[in-house]
Amino acid sequence: MAKIKVVQYINQFFAQIGGEEMADYKPELRQGPVGPGLAFNAAFGEDAEIVATVICGDSYYNENLDEAKATVVEMVKSCGADMFIAGPAFNAGRYGVACGSICEEVKNKLGMPVLTGMYVENPGADMYKNSVYIVETKNSAAGMRDAVKKMAPLALKLARGEKIGASAEEGYFPNGIRKNFFEKERGSKRAVDMLLKKLAGKPFTTEYPMPDFDRVAPNPAVKDITKATIALVTSGGIVPKGNPDHIEASSASKYGKYDIEGVMDLTADTYETAHGGYDPVYANADADRVLPVDVLREFEKEGKIGKLFRYFYTTVGNGTSVKNAKGFAAEYAIELKNAGVDAVILTST
Amino acid sequence: MKIQIITNNPLVAQKLSEEYPVHYEPRSYREVLVAVRDLIHQGYQLYSHPLSGSVKPNETPYKSVFLSQKPGKLDLDAVRIIENSIITCDKFAVKFPDPPPDMDRDFQLLDLTLLQGALSQITT
Amino acid sequence: MKLELGYINIHDIQFSNESKIENGVLYVDKAAVEALVLEDEHIKTVEVDIARPGESVRITPVKDVIEPRVKVSGGGGMFPGVISKVDTVGSGRTHVLKGSAVVTTGKIVGFQEGIIDMTGVGAQYTPFSKTVNLVVNCDPVDGIAPHEHEHAVRMVGLKVAVYLGELARNLTPDEIKTYETCSIKEGFEKYPGLPRVAYVQMLQSQGLLHDTYVYGVDAKKIIPTLISPTETMDGAILSGNCVSACDKNPTYNHLNNPVVEDLFAQHGKTLNFVGMIITNENVYLADKERSSNWTAQLCEYLSLDGAIVSQEGFGNPDTDLIMNCKKIEAKGIHTVIITDEYAGRDGSSQSLADADPAADAVVTGGNANELITLPKLDKVIGSLLPIDKIAGGFDKNMLEDGSIMVELQAITGATSELGCNCLSAR
Repeated sequence: MAKIKVVQYINQFFAQIGGEEMADYKPELRQGPVGPGLAFNAAFGEDAEIVATVICGDSYYNENLDEAKATVVEMVKSCGADMFIAGPAFNAGRYGVACGSICEEVKNKLGMPVLTGMYVENPGADMYKNSVYIVETKNSAAGMRDAVKKMAPLALKLARGEKIGASAEEGYFPNGIRKNFFEKERGSKRAVDMLLKKLAGKPFTTEYPMPDFDRVAPNPAVKDITKATIALVTSGGIVPKGNPDHIEASSASKYGKYDIEGVMDLTADTYETAHGGYDPVYANADADRVLPVDVLREFEKEGKIGKLFRYFYTTVGNGTSVKNAKGFAAEYAIELKNAGVDAVILTST
Repeated sequence: MKIQIITNNPLVAQKLSEEYPVHYEPRSYREVLVAVRDLIHQGYQLYSHPLSGSVKPNETPYKSVFLSQKPGKLDLDAVRIIENSIITCDKFAVKFPDPPPDMDRDFQLLDLTLLQGALSQITT
Repeated sequence: MKLELGYINIHDIQFSNESKIENGVLYVDKAAVEALVLEDEHIKTVEVDIARPGESVRITPVKDVIEPRVKVSGGGGMFPGVISKVDTVGSGRTHVLKGSAVVTTGKIVGFQEGIIDMTGVGAQYTPFSKTVNLVVNCDPVDGIAPHEHEHAVRMVGLKVAVYLGELARNLTPDEIKTYETCSIKEGFEKYPGLPRVAYVQMLQSQGLLHDTYVYGVDAKKIIPTLISPTETMDGAILSGNCVSACDKNPTYNHLNNPVVEDLFAQHGKTLNFVGMIITNENVYLADKERSSNWTAQLCEYLSLDGAIVSQEGFGNPDTDLIMNCKKIEAKGIHTVIITDEYAGRDGSSQSLADADPAADAVVTGGNANELITLPKLDKVIGSLLPIDKIAGGFDKNMLEDGSIMVELQAITGATSELGCNCLSAR
C-alpha cells in the first residue's frame, strides 16, 4: 500500500521562525516535515509521511481569518494529500483556535480527514471539539512525545477511513457523539470506585456528563420601573421593511441594531419579520405582536416606565447556533450596559 | 381526584370511557404527547408519566396519559417531563407502520394495562 | 446476617435418564423436566434444550434467566413468597449451580424481545453466553391472556431452577463465599472510620410485563424499604419483566447482583456497606414523588455518606433515577448512579429522558441504540420470527447472508443498569 500523504499545519514558534514578534508571519508552504513533523514521521514509520508543512503566524491567522483560511486551504489542496494534521497546540490559545479553525475549514472545503491536538483548557478545544477530532494533550510542548503517540495512530485510522472508537479509547475530547466500547472493569465495580473517589473528595470522571444546563441566575428586580430605561431585544426577526442588513431567515450569522427614535407603532408598511421558522402573516401585518413598541410607548407616556431605549436589537432564532447567539449577545449586552439601559425585554416568536 | 385521559388507543376508549372522561383520537404517539404538552401549558396537572412502559415510543403506536380535569397552576416539573418525553420520542423511528392484528392488539392491551396500573395507584 | 454461598461449579449440561450432578456435569432427565412444566394447566407444549458457550446457537425471544440454587440451611427456601413460604431468607447456607442457568423462551406478546447468542459478536454483549443454559421453550394453551401467560412462564422458570438446584443440596461445594452484614450498631462500632454506603436498587414496576416481585409482593405496591443484600441471593427479588431486553434485570442478575458483590468486596476495607434500599419505578407521578422522598429519607436515617443507585428499563424510570439522585444528594450524601443510554443510532441524541446537575457521577452501560450485525447461526431455540418485531430489531433487518442487523437493545442484558458488563460509552 502506498504511504499516506499528510500535510501538517504549525505556527511560527514550532517552525522555529520566532516567538510573539514573528506572530504576523504569513502562510508559507514547505516541502516535507518541519519541527514536530519529524516526530510524527518517526511514529508513522512506513505507513505515512508528512509531505508538506504549512507555517502560519498565530496573529496573522486570527486577524486575517478569511484570507488566512483561503490561502491555507489552497496550499493544502496543492499537495494532493490524504490527511491534514494541525498542531498539536498544547496550551497556546491563539494557536489552538487556529488549529481548530483550519481543521474545520479543510474538512469542510476539501473533505479531507483532519486531526488536531491541544490541552483541555485551550479555548480552541471547547470551540472546535464537536466539529473535528481533537486529541487531548499536556499543557506544554514538553508533552510532544505523548501527543504524537496518541495523534499518529488516530491520524492513520482517520486517513484509512477506519472505524473510530470511543473518545476514552482514542484519546480525543468527547464530541457529543456517544460511542460504545468495553471498559476493563464491569459497571458495578466502576460505580464503587467512582463513589470511593467522590467520598474522598478526589477527582473522578463521570461516564455521562449531564447536558450543559447553562442556567443564568436572575438579576435583582429593577428598583423603580417608572424611572428605568427599557430596551427591546428579539429573536423573532423583526426588521425594518426590506431587511436592510439581510439577516438570514434561518441559521442567522448576524444581528441588527435599529433606531426607533420617534417610532410609536410598527406598521405593515415600515416593519416585517425576516424569520423563516413561523407563519409570518401576523408579524408582517403588525410587528408589534413580536416586538411590542406600541405598548411600551404607551407605558412611557403614562409614566409606567422611564423610557424605551432608542435602539432595538434583533436576530432570527430559527436554527441559529448557540455559539452564534451567545456571540451576538456578548456584543450588544455591553452596548446596552454602556448606554445605561436598566432592563431588557427579550421576545421570541 | 378528578382525572381525564388523553389517548390514541381505541381499547382504552372502549374499556374506560364509562368510568373516566376519555379524549380519544386516532393519531400518532407524538401527537398524543404534544396534546398533553399543550394541556400542561394551560395548567392541567400531569398525573402519569408520558413515557410509561419499556416498549419504545413509535415502536408501540399507542399512548395514554392522564391529567387533571381542571387546570391549576403551571407545573414546571411537568413541563420538563413532557418536553423530555417529546425529545425522547423523536429519537425513535416509527417501527411498524402497519402492525399485524395480533401485535396491534398486544400493543393496545399493554398500553391499557399500564394505564390501569397507574390509575389503581390513585389514593386521593 | 451471614450467608454462605456454596458454589458447585458446572461446566456442562447433558441429558440423561436421571437428574444428577457429577464431576461438574449437570445431568438432566428431560422427561422429568417436561412433566414438571406441564403440571401447569396453562402450558400446552414444552421443549427442553441445551445451549453451551461457543455453540452456534441463538436463543430468542428470551423471557427470563434464572440461576439454579438451593437453600441448604438457615430459614426459608428459594424464591420466598412465590415458590417457598414467605420466611425471611438471607442467612445460613445456599448452594449454587455456578456456571449454569435456566433460560425461558416462548412468545408471550407479539413484540417480544431478547436474544442470547452463544457465539459470535452477539455473545460478547450478553452475560448469558458464558453460562451453560438449559432452555425451556413453552407454548401456552389457546386463548390465554398475556398476564396469565407471563405468570405461567415465570413460574415454569423458577420451578425448573428449583428442581435443578435441589440436586446440589447434599453436595460439597467447590468454593464457599461468605457474605455478612452487620446491624447498624455493630457497623458503627466495627468500622468507625469508614464511609457508610448503601445500595439503592430501583425495581421495574410499571405494570403488565414490567413487574418485579419482592417476597411475592408486586413492587408497584411497595414503599421504599430496607432489605439485607443477602436476601437477594436467596431469591427475595425476582423478575416478571419481559420488556426492554438489554436493560431489564433478569432473576439471574437479582441473585448475582454485581453492585451487591462489589460493595461487599470493599466492605470493612474502604467502606462500610450498611445495607440496601429497594424502591420502585411507577407510572403514577405521585408514586414517584413519594418513593423518591422516602428513599432519600431512609438514606438520611441510615446516616449514609454515600449511595449507589441502579436503574431498570428506559424512559419513565429516568425520571425516578434523577429524582432519587437529586434528593439523596440534597441530603449531603454522595451519590453515583448506574444507567444506560438511548442516544440514537448515530449516538448524537440526548441519552436520558431526564437530567439534573446533581447527577455528576454516572456509570453507563452503553448506548442501546447502537447497531450491531449478528451472524447467521446454525440453530435457533425459540423462534426467529419475533426478531423483526423485538425492541431494537427492525423490519427487513435480515440481510442476504442470513445475518441480522439489530440495535443493541435487542440483546438480553447487553446494557445492564446493574453494571453486570464492561460495556460503556463516551
